[in-house]
Amino acid sequence: MQLIGYACSYIPVEILSATGLRPYRLLHGEISLSKRGEKVVRIDACPMIKSNLAYVLENQDRFAALVGSTGCDMSRRMFDILSEHIKIPVYVVNNPRTDKPEIYSDEIDWLVKQLEYFSQKKFTNEIIRDEIGKWERIRAALRAMDQKRAACPSLTSTTEFHNAMACYHTGSCENEVTFSENASEKARVYILGSAITYEANHILQMIESNLRIVGDFNCGLSRPLHIQIEEENIEGIKKAYYNQPPCLYKRPHQKYYEFLQSEITRLDCTGVIAWTLDYCDVHEFELQRIEKVLNLPLLRIRSDFSYQSNSQLRTRIEAFAEMLCSRT
Amino acid sequence: MTDILTPRERFGLLVIDEKPDRCNTIPLITSHAASVRGMKLRDYYTNGENMARAQIAAIEKYGHDAISIFSEVGIIAEAMGTEFDYPENDLPIQRIPALEKKDINDIEIPVPTSDARLPVYLEAIEYAYDALGDRVPILAYIPAPFTTGMMLSEPNRFLIQTIKEPDHVKAVMEKSLAAAIELCYHAIDAGGLPIIVDPLASSSVISPRAYRQYALPYERKLVDFLHRYDLDVILHICGDTTPILDLLKETHADLISIDRVDLTDTIKKLSSTVRVIGNYDTSLLAFSSPEEIASGVRDMVKLSMQAPKGYIAATGCEVPIHAPFDNVMAFINAAKENGWYWD
Amino acid sequence: MLKNIDPQKISLKEWSRQFRLLDDSEIRRFKYYNNDEWGIYLSPPATFMVYGARELRKLKLDNSLAALRLWGFALNESERLFRARQSGKHIIATMGDLGTVPVIAMAFPDCIPFYPDCTWWTPFFNESTVLLDKASELGTPEASCFVRSTLAAFHKMAYFPKPDILFASTGASCDDYSCIMQMVEDMGFELNWLEIPFRRKKQDHFTDEKYARTPQGLDYPERFETYLINEYKHVWQRMQDLTNDGDPEKLGESIKKNNRLRRLVDQIKALTHGAKIAPFPALEMMVIEFGNLYGYADIDEWIDILEMVKSKIIDRVKSGNGVLDSDAIPLAWITPTADPLLLNIVEDLGGRVVATEYVINQALSEIEEDIDPFRALARSFMNASLIGSTEERIRHISAGVDSGRIAGVIITNMLGCSHCAMETRAIEKRLKNVPILAIDIPAPLGITEQIRTRIAAFIEMLK
Repeated sequence: MQLIGYACSYIPVEILSATGLRPYRLLHGEISLSKRGEKVVRIDACPMIKSNLAYVLENQDRFAALVGSTGCDMSRRMFDILSEHIKIPVYVVNNPRTDKPEIYSDEIDWLVKQLEYFSQKKFTNEIIRDEIGKWERIRAALRAMDQKRAACPSLTSTTEFHNAMACYHTGSCENEVTFSENASEKARVYILGSAITYEANHILQMIESNLRIVGDFNCGLSRPLHIQIEEENIEGIKKAYYNQPPCLYKRPHQKYYEFLQSEITRLDCTGVIAWTLDYCDVHEFELQRIEKVLNLPLLRIRSDFSYQSNSQLRTRIEAFAEMLCSRT
Repeated sequence: MTDILTPRERFGLLVIDEKPDRCNTIPLITSHAASVRGMKLRDYYTNGENMARAQIAAIEKYGHDAISIFSEVGIIAEAMGTEFDYPENDLPIQRIPALEKKDINDIEIPVPTSDARLPVYLEAIEYAYDALGDRVPILAYIPAPFTTGMMLSEPNRFLIQTIKEPDHVKAVMEKSLAAAIELCYHAIDAGGLPIIVDPLASSSVISPRAYRQYALPYERKLVDFLHRYDLDVILHICGDTTPILDLLKETHADLISIDRVDLTDTIKKLSSTVRVIGNYDTSLLAFSSPEEIASGVRDMVKLSMQAPKGYIAATGCEVPIHAPFDNVMAFINAAKENGWYWD
Repeated sequence: MLKNIDPQKISLKEWSRQFRLLDDSEIRRFKYYNNDEWGIYLSPPATFMVYGARELRKLKLDNSLAALRLWGFALNESERLFRARQSGKHIIATMGDLGTVPVIAMAFPDCIPFYPDCTWWTPFFNESTVLLDKASELGTPEASCFVRSTLAAFHKMAYFPKPDILFASTGASCDDYSCIMQMVEDMGFELNWLEIPFRRKKQDHFTDEKYARTPQGLDYPERFETYLINEYKHVWQRMQDLTNDGDPEKLGESIKKNNRLRRLVDQIKALTHGAKIAPFPALEMMVIEFGNLYGYADIDEWIDILEMVKSKIIDRVKSGNGVLDSDAIPLAWITPTADPLLLNIVEDLGGRVVATEYVINQALSEIEEDIDPFRALARSFMNASLIGSTEERIRHISAGVDSGRIAGVIITNMLGCSHCAMETRAIEKRLKNVPILAIDIPAPLGITEQIRTRIAAFIEMLK
């Protein structure tokens, strides 16, 4: 099945999937891909954007269409670059940064219209209901896994959870969500920041060899699970997606912080890991505030996906874990 | 309280009638900087780079709010022909005044880039500006015409001439003014903000009448020259200026630095139109304990913070060359701690 | 005075010499807010250097009285804003949109809009890292746009007075600045956020989307107008709340006044870029273009200055005189340089700027006067440089290349700036028929011999 690529938590998979294509979230991040992306952008672009560019350009035959959003500036411009290089339809949705539900609503209507035209298919209420049902079932199964992760003691790792979420994000979730229980008494931490890409699983492994990540706010992990569609129609999709816990780039951003605070309290975390990619402005600018607002020990991991500082990183994680243990 | 502004930003706000984070603190640390740097005085006033380095060392040590490029008031007179001795550990001493050798009409306006020690001053300004000019104002002390006139002459004779030979004195004033303007012109191009110093125009030296007749008009002309540049001009007169306090406004100076004058009286008379600078007694700075200094400075600053056009905490005159470092530090810390404007 | 001198770019010391020749009456002739006491601004570069603008020691500036006025006025802006507040005017911070919100603010009595964003030049004019260091201390990343100095300026409140109201535009804008505005809000300033829509380029595969076209020829989904109109009405409302005033006719007048400025700048650009010998330097021209954002906080005086500049340029063009050699290589400049010195260097090495894309297209375009003013503002903003595709942004540069008017292109980038990172390669791809030199602007005092050599080699190659 051909893919419909997308790059934002505010793009409803249900609508993409209604085209008959497989929604595939552009969440690549790996050093060699990133380097190859530098053929089309400067070295100081976000390494995930560079990886995604390289991935799509090298696999363009697999994609039938792309859907982007104005989420972050580089992501929006990524689609401009892709539309210059490949000959498939590209749609970019205006995802307002301020609280403007009417703009979002208009834009989703526009997207539906475009994708109907593209797929030569009317997205009837029935189709939409089916899609909602399908994706809600998958999300429910993943939520169950997420609850195990959040349990005390935590019963499954984020490393495993990430693999399961990757199936969701790549649209390859025909199979049931299965996972192993692996109780952990390690210090409970929360991870936030830039996206955890498909290829970044080894970072989670490295973290979890000393700590247990029990919650997150990163693209690539549990964010879609906060979306729960109550009305089984397009309006219901809009409401659920628009009202999800907001991205950090929303202005003003107090709801983002309120959400983080409540999650960290709920999950009884003793530390925070801030994962940021090079040149990811939205997160890099906020680190000081995050540390201040959350008022918990914070380990910052900044990455360009290269492996050269892995041993240093391992030591930092060990030291952080030791510090958290000594505090408890 | 931690400083929010740099000295440059702080001074910038003061001169546009805005309250900065705290009051500017600019004790007149001139040749005292040589002591801070552990430098012989002669090395300080005969070498621009040394002078600047000493000033930078003082700023680094004390954290006050301006660099003061200065050693002594004879610098223009020297470039016009007055001869000085340069003792190793003291400031230059006037040996033969120019007007003892030459007629005023034969004296030429000096070229600041080449004559006597004027290039030393310019080099010092430029060096300091290069090093710190983005964050600290560089004050270039310019002797006013009356003071230069007296340095060109045998002092007692000059004072008599103010009574008996007004035309001669005026000719001296005109030439000294032209020389001061020339030095200002170059000091500005080097990055310095001219501060006019006229210690010999003090009421401790001349009468208010002589001040009005000979000093004031030329101070005003110099200030007006600087106003063409839209610069904010500081005028400093040492000693007692109580009898001429009202006249000081007529100089057109934007900031007036006072010495042995009642501060309350000064604020009452001047501070609705000019910023007041002053005026901690430098003999106290030399001989009191740090605690006594802190207390005195606190009282002075608390009183002066109310000045409507703004205030700079300063010493009334130059910080004594050998003033104890702890005492100077006590002055600066007390002024900073008690001079806070912002919430 | 200064009437019969040959046009050239001169150093600070030469300006000081020239300034001595000016009569006092000439100096006192020009003033902002028509104030005799503190409104005088005709000072030589040395004055601003003494107050900390250290790069003026290196810059060579045009030797005309018109240019002296221009520099005196532009460099005096910080003081002017404080004086505005002291004299009871409202200070309106308009951030991020670069060109439209000030038009609304100017429709209200005694309201002075300004762009805190413009503090991005301060570290370079001052050759200072004071603001950038403070910004880092406040949490901004090192590898981000120099506009982060704005955050430090808000912290210090020594570069502009505390605004009475702040408007911050976000959306399809650069991320760095959106983050900075958020940090300003976190400091305790109350921000009024405005949404900037993305100008979605028309595509063949789209259906059923009604597009409109700006007078400058850029297509946009017509409904986006409504989004902007709503945002501008919100600005209007907030301004009414602030001033207890608000006469809709005044908005029309403000548009007319801003159009007068925009037309004037357009004429100046056409005269300068089209002349056989460059009649005015590129650095002054950049100052002129950016004046369109808000008239440097006194639009009437700024217009008057530009009238004088225009007439000086006309004189020079008529007499065949200029500030550069006649064989200077015609270049386009994309993205404004944070360090003004670079424009000087390019000219000194034989280049001449004949076309620009300084990310403020929205401020250069005339606003329609025959339609509803809010709609006119929305349509005007739809010309914005950074809200659409790269192709649209550089379309006029491409045309200049195709016509042979532009022999080379200089792109100035900033490390970590989101649009620079994403657009530079795309621009290179689009303009493949012309040599391009991309320069990363280093931190203050960072222009090295290596950069000079690269520029020299580039211009030599074009010769």
